[in-house]
Amino acid sequence: MEITLKFYRFSPGNGSKGDFQEYSLEIDESATVLDALMQVKEDQDSTMAFRGSCRSGFCGDCTMRISRRNRMACSTTVGAAQNEGTISVEPVRLITTTKDMMYDLDYWVYDKYKAVEPWVETDEKAPDKEHVVSNKVVQDLRKVMSCTMCWLCDEGCSTMVVDRKFVGPLALTKAYRSVFDPRDNRTEARLKNLSEKNGMWDCCHCYEASEHCPKGIDPTERIFALRNKAIKANAGIPTVRNHYRSFAKSVKSHGWLDEARLAIETEGLTNIKGQLKQVPLAIKAFRKGKRPLPYFLHEKREGRDRIKRIFEKWEEND
Amino acid sequence: MAYAFFPGCVSKGGCPELYPAAKMVADKLNIELVELKDVGCTGAGVLSQEVSDPVNARTLAKVEKMGLTMMTICSTCQGVFTQANHRLQSDPEYRDRINQEYLASEGLRYDGTVDVKHFVWILDEEFGLDNLKDLVVHPLEGLKVAPFYGCYLRRPPELMVPKGFEGRKTVLEKTIETLGGEVVNTSGKGKCCGFPILSSSEENSLAMCGDHTLEAKGKGANCMVTPCPLCHLELDGKQDDAGKHKKQDIDLPILHLPQMVGLALGFTPRDMGLNKHLVSTDEIVDILEGVRA
Repeated sequence: MEITLKFYRFSPGNGSKGDFQEYSLEIDESATVLDALMQVKEDQDSTMAFRGSCRSGFCGDCTMRISRRNRMACSTTVGAAQNEGTISVEPVRLITTTKDMMYDLDYWVYDKYKAVEPWVETDEKAPDKEHVVSNKVVQDLRKVMSCTMCWLCDEGCSTMVVDRKFVGPLALTKAYRSVFDPRDNRTEARLKNLSEKNGMWDCCHCYEASEHCPKGIDPTERIFALRNKAIKANAGIPTVRNHYRSFAKSVKSHGWLDEARLAIETEGLTNIKGQLKQVPLAIKAFRKGKRPLPYFLHEKREGRDRIKRIFEKWEEND
Repeated sequence: MAYAFFPGCVSKGGCPELYPAAKMVADKLNIELVELKDVGCTGAGVLSQEVSDPVNARTLAKVEKMGLTMMTICSTCQGVFTQANHRLQSDPEYRDRINQEYLASEGLRYDGTVDVKHFVWILDEEFGLDNLKDLVVHPLEGLKVAPFYGCYLRRPPELMVPKGFEGRKTVLEKTIETLGGEVVNTSGKGKCCGFPILSSSEENSLAMCGDHTLEAKGKGANCMVTPCPLCHLELDGKQDDAGKHKKQDIDLPILHLPQMVGLALGFTPRDMGLNKHLVSTDEIVDILEGVRA
């Protein structure tokens, strides 16, 4: 089929913001967008700059915004990407480029990756025989290890839109791989590191990362697992720890959430500044008739004893 | 039509206008709601699945006995239930373990047969938007509404928008049009509202809230509608702070989905509890009464 390829051109030296350049070519609709790009580069314009290595979805190199959707060029067919014979190819939006489609990977990907110390570390003496890790654990970790760092999860991330310093689901998925590896014994230090500013607690668990991941790794659930582990290990930032504890306490005792108590306890009972910060909103809400009652005034739900028993049983099992 | 009604915590707590609005609207539509009172909070994604799955399995077991579909009015409750239900339905061993360890002592057992649906899905898939249109007595003419889905009504897509239910992707838009309103589309309608990170990262949370409401406002919306009371807590409750964060006034009224339906069905703004919102809803009321164009 004949297609028009609109390819984003950008040169840092010429002062322009970058723009699309159009190329016409004949190519089979079952070919991939990466094939189309290579064909144009070989036949028409050798100055085009883009990345692409394995051509089969293994290396994660060719992540692009293709016809306004973020995907890998080697895993997207021309037929699926074209819209009335036109395919647009531009950089993903949350990463800067050094030329055309060449991403500044050091800053946006590798620095964050390195920050989570993505290697297994132990101070135990090397065993006489190899470490035996259960099949179940290996299967789980192998899934995470299939991450190609294509960056689609970070590109979809809701938090990254407002704060690009956020460590992001990609690096956190890599962190999961180390934290849940039974051979690693730096769990506590790792969870503390992940709880630093711009760390895992900035994730809003919107499931965008899981929706964007082409490998089905489910980064959102990995981040949930890291956070639950941190809460159990008493890591995490104080407001978050307070929030989790207060939430669980009120559901356990009343059967449902005591929102007013949650707001008070999240800030910390002795945190005067934090409590005062909430006063204007509380007054405003009260005046409008929003008056959720806290603690002993909070209505106790029928069946709360049964709910409490579930919590107690869980605590026993834990 | 009868449903086991799971009102959630926020509709009786931080958003007390939602619960009566949903009840009144359901009543008007002859949808019978059998309220679940003896059940626990879903955990809202905060509580670990290790404890929230048994609590939610208990709720589902009770609904299963009733032989009804369960209705939610909160996207977060819906999301948590859909995911918990999926784990319990797809893994009989896991379900059996929860039945034995947590439910058997109460004489309960969940066999995985319950369907859980948000009110807006029920309107479209079971009640029918054509039938709803026939009942509109006060079309939302002149009202430009930005739909805001938030996270959990659309993701994870394989569970929330499965094959055969693709209409869920645009259910808010369809509902707005059915009621006579004009849809204002925004790029952030399916993104996070910011509420889940309010306690850990307030600046980012307010930035999200500000971005969504300012985009809607910039595109001419008179209001925004959401199927999630947690999104409402953020978009309405924290909008003032978001405006300060963005250094501009926003003043965009945020409606709960049942309120919007109720206004078109002839309920007054006060009936629907619009006076309880933190952001003034006067502009909407004026438009609907023909005061403003």
